[in-house]
Amino acid sequence: MNRMLFGALALGAALAAHPVLAQKTVLNIGMASADAGKLDPHLSATTPDKALFNFMFNGLVRFKPGSMNPETIEPDLAEKWTSSEDGKTWNFSIRRGVQCHHNYGEITSADIVYSLQRAADPKRSGFSSDFKDFDKVEAVDANTVRITLKNAVPSLLGLLTNYHGGNIVCKKAAEEMGENFVKKPIGTGPFMFGQYAPKESVTLVAHKGYFRGAPKLERIVYRYIPSDASRDLAYTSGEIDMLYGKGEQVWVERMRKLDNTIVDVFEPAEMAVLYLNTKMKPLDDIRVRQALGHALNINEVVQFKGAAVARAAKSVVPIGYLGFTDDVPLLKHDPARAKALLAEAGYPNGLTVKAIHTSLPGMLSTIQVVQQQWRRSGINLDLEIVEHATFHAEIRKDKSAIVQYQAARFPIADTYLTQFFHSSAIVGTPTAVTNFTHCNDADAEIVAARSEPDPVKQKALWKTAQQKLMTKVCALPIYENMLVWARRANFDFGIKLEGSLNLGPVVNELSHFK
Amino acid sequence: MSRGAAIAAPRRGFVHALRELRRAFNTNITSWIGLGVFLAIVLFAVLAPVIAPFDPYEQHIIDRLKGPDATYWFGTDAFGRDILSRLLHGARYSLVIGSVATVSAMIIGSAIGIVSGYVGGRVDLAVMQVMDVLMSFPSLIMGLMIVAVLGPSMGNLIFAIALTAIAPFARIARAPTIVIKQRDFIEACRALGFSDLRIMVVHILPNVMAEILVLGTLWLATSIRVEASLSFIGLGLKPPIPSWGGMVREGFEVILDSAWLSIFPSLAILLIIFALNMLGDGLRDAVDPKLRGGE
Amino acid sequence: MIRYVVKRLLFAIPTLLAVLTIVFVIVRIVPGDPAQTILGDQASQEALENLRRRLGVDKPIAVQYIDFMQGALLGNWGESMVTGRPVLTEVWAVLPHTVDLTVAAILLGALIGVPLGTWSALHRNAPIDYATRIVSLLGLSFPAFVSGILLLLAFAIELRWFPVISAGKLDNPVDRVRNLVLPAINLGIIMAAYVTRVTRSSMLEVLGEDYIRTARAKGVPNRAVVWRHSLRNALIPVVTVVGLYLGILIGNSVLTEIVFNRPGLGKLIVSALNQRDYTMLQGLMVVYAFLIVVVNLVTDLTYGFIDPRVKHG
Repeated sequence: MNRMLFGALALGAALAAHPVLAQKTVLNIGMASADAGKLDPHLSATTPDKALFNFMFNGLVRFKPGSMNPETIEPDLAEKWTSSEDGKTWNFSIRRGVQCHHNYGEITSADIVYSLQRAADPKRSGFSSDFKDFDKVEAVDANTVRITLKNAVPSLLGLLTNYHGGNIVCKKAAEEMGENFVKKPIGTGPFMFGQYAPKESVTLVAHKGYFRGAPKLERIVYRYIPSDASRDLAYTSGEIDMLYGKGEQVWVERMRKLDNTIVDVFEPAEMAVLYLNTKMKPLDDIRVRQALGHALNINEVVQFKGAAVARAAKSVVPIGYLGFTDDVPLLKHDPARAKALLAEAGYPNGLTVKAIHTSLPGMLSTIQVVQQQWRRSGINLDLEIVEHATFHAEIRKDKSAIVQYQAARFPIADTYLTQFFHSSAIVGTPTAVTNFTHCNDADAEIVAARSEPDPVKQKALWKTAQQKLMTKVCALPIYENMLVWARRANFDFGIKLEGSLNLGPVVNELSHFK
Repeated sequence: MSRGAAIAAPRRGFVHALRELRRAFNTNITSWIGLGVFLAIVLFAVLAPVIAPFDPYEQHIIDRLKGPDATYWFGTDAFGRDILSRLLHGARYSLVIGSVATVSAMIIGSAIGIVSGYVGGRVDLAVMQVMDVLMSFPSLIMGLMIVAVLGPSMGNLIFAIALTAIAPFARIARAPTIVIKQRDFIEACRALGFSDLRIMVVHILPNVMAEILVLGTLWLATSIRVEASLSFIGLGLKPPIPSWGGMVREGFEVILDSAWLSIFPSLAILLIIFALNMLGDGLRDAVDPKLRGGE
Repeated sequence: MIRYVVKRLLFAIPTLLAVLTIVFVIVRIVPGDPAQTILGDQASQEALENLRRRLGVDKPIAVQYIDFMQGALLGNWGESMVTGRPVLTEVWAVLPHTVDLTVAAILLGALIGVPLGTWSALHRNAPIDYATRIVSLLGLSFPAFVSGILLLLAFAIELRWFPVISAGKLDNPVDRVRNLVLPAINLGIIMAAYVTRVTRSSMLEVLGEDYIRTARAKGVPNRAVVWRHSLRNALIPVVTVVGLYLGILIGNSVLTEIVFNRPGLGKLIVSALNQRDYTMLQGLMVVYAFLIVVVNLVTDLTYGFIDPRVKHG
């Protein structure tokens, strides 16, 4: 019996040491999540799901793969387009011969119309508010789609990229499956849904009929490994080839030391912001909010995260977005001032604030640094820690006084301001997006800027909006974290990865192992 | 001086129970070691605010993830908090949760056992059936469930752990009660008009005390283990409270770079449980005549 | 024998009902209004009522109890609120992993524990006996996550002999074994500690019994006595440990699954917790309830088969 056991041990050891020889066509990815969310590109906005949609869907247009600069937007499902003088009417010519996954047929303008209407429907989409300026979407003929707007929007093409509501789903599949679409999402991209093993993985297979050519990879296995340690170990032991990285200096440094490994640090920087519920006690008192701001030490957080991956946030709009300004009243780190403000507000002995928070390690460590900084000023942050998907659900029910949210959006000020600070986006309302603050102070500027034809005036409006929101302390910007992934050096994306709006690496028909 | 002896001399009460335990001690050196280590941990916990080199919550971001050195004897965690100081303070939480849960279970469980055994009949059968069922439920799963529905606060943790420990105490208190209540002197007490309560407290309880205390020691170990396990799963006290299981959980996240983060609290958990088990095991050997009886 | 089996089976029914009742109490009564818990305090009245209706908690508690018991007994264990799949399907998918782990651990526990316990008993109060007792006491003092982390550090991280994530494909036997080794050792050594101690004490008991004394007095060598009774004595402690320490076995397997990131019932329950999947939790509790009752029944029956005396007891 003992010999058998040792035999098994030796066998195990031998297998573990055996290298992979054949040229690989399967890409194993390790993602920091316990499970898939809703696998419908119009429903889910979580990072793990979006990274997956990235491999599966096309938009009418797309960013040049590996970039997120709006100037690089290029044709995708639409071959070309024209717009009217006033920017309200757009015609898109749809590429012919694009096949849907799993033999759901060739894509036509009917699919585009269906998909965009679906994305604009609050019942079927989480991004409907992005489309509120849409008047109608109609099929002119089988290969022409016309979009009519109620008024001009800052970047229509941005909305139509392979991102959020711009992802095109196939009509026949979506209608046939209804709510079950999440179990087998169908698009047109280089990879298509294979199978889903709960809490384990999603397997995508090559879409041989992809219109840009059959992918070089056979399969992508997208594995859910929530524990950072387990994910790192899985990479070290060769079980996965690419992994979501902890946006922390130590991680980057350690991974760079490994053989045959490339660390990709790319845009967009996700901005971590503490959104303060200005309608919930005790945060309804501006002095308390100011105290929270003065007690916060942004530089320490940046130091904690590491300069290789993080930078201090400067406003409620991320650095570099069109319309961003740092000419805003940012609260300086000043614990004494914080204490004084608290005393003034009637909390001379400090106070306790409750917040719901995600268990996602990168965000959890940030909030713990903040928690300690606040503790030094007598503010006790009582955290209720829940799984990431639950966190997203809970905060949208307006349940948390403070919400830490890390996000990157289409890089113009309007997206951020509209989604996080316009009154129509207040959580708990029918038109809710992610305004956790209940602030509505910049509504006028946000709306005016949208259709302001003069770029200079538009920027001035966005600037005023940011100043108003910062003065009212609706939110405390903390830091911006670049995305960090690591991969085997012999895995080639086939493109240059500098940015990816979907927050995950771009793996497409060109990607392969060398 | 087994159970038989105790029953023959029913009126010696608590003093006798303690004497019985002390005798048990002398027979087993591991009990002494266990007691010594346990008391040392208790002492460290009590003195934590005085002897801990740092505030267990204070973050020294510059010094984060430092290995053990002259300043930070056990190193620092991902936030630059001193692990030694967190361990010392964490001992307080482990001990308080473990002992309050155990003592509550001991009191409630013994009361149920003695009353049930004393009353006898169908009530006894029913109560014991419930206890058997309660006992067969995995304590970790039960704790997990209760903390999940009630939320992870200290009180809820204690409640969850205590609930799983009631049944064993009820069982161990019941068995000798049944034997004792049939003895002549209890009959005599009844004839003298003593109340049932008085009989149970004054005459029966002292006779089951030794077993209960032994089981209490062993369950203290179990309670601490369950608390640590729940914290490790993420259902323990909330951050930034330094619970040992929670520290292992945090350390597990960075196990590749900084193994000491999980090793030190792991060893602390192991040490306290091992010490209590040594203590309880030695005591049990002494008290349980079956194990002590010669060949 | 048949009468014994029937008696045990009949006895299992009230036990099952009682366990299910406890589950009902925990999941339905303890948390107050589950709909409120699920939806939060800002939820609209309409949404609350809809969910209450869906969960069946709008009915009187007695009706709920009957519904719950009926569902549980008829195998209708509910659906996950997160994935929408039946609990049973989810359980079925991961069950092989948990069975692998548990069986391997029990085997390992028996292989180490029975000889060690016997040896220890035969050398009662000798240094080797003390050493065994201390080591086994140490073994059962390990929470499974502590031993798991130490094993992981030594064999997966330092020596790199084994994979860190133990979720192998079930259809590849080599993978399956390779992934099983470390978790099984982890759970197995803890089992071995319990088995050693129970073997030792039951062996001591047997050695003290009349017929063994008689055999010895007749001049049968000690070794022969031990061997003759060893098979039976090997099984009883293992069965006892599984029956008696089932709770600890389950708890430790949950922790083992977490440390080694291995799919199984334990990971299922922990992710249900994190995702606040109350129906899944409730379903899993029912699964555990059945598991407990069945294992207790099986151990009882096994006792009956191995040790004829039990029947009369």
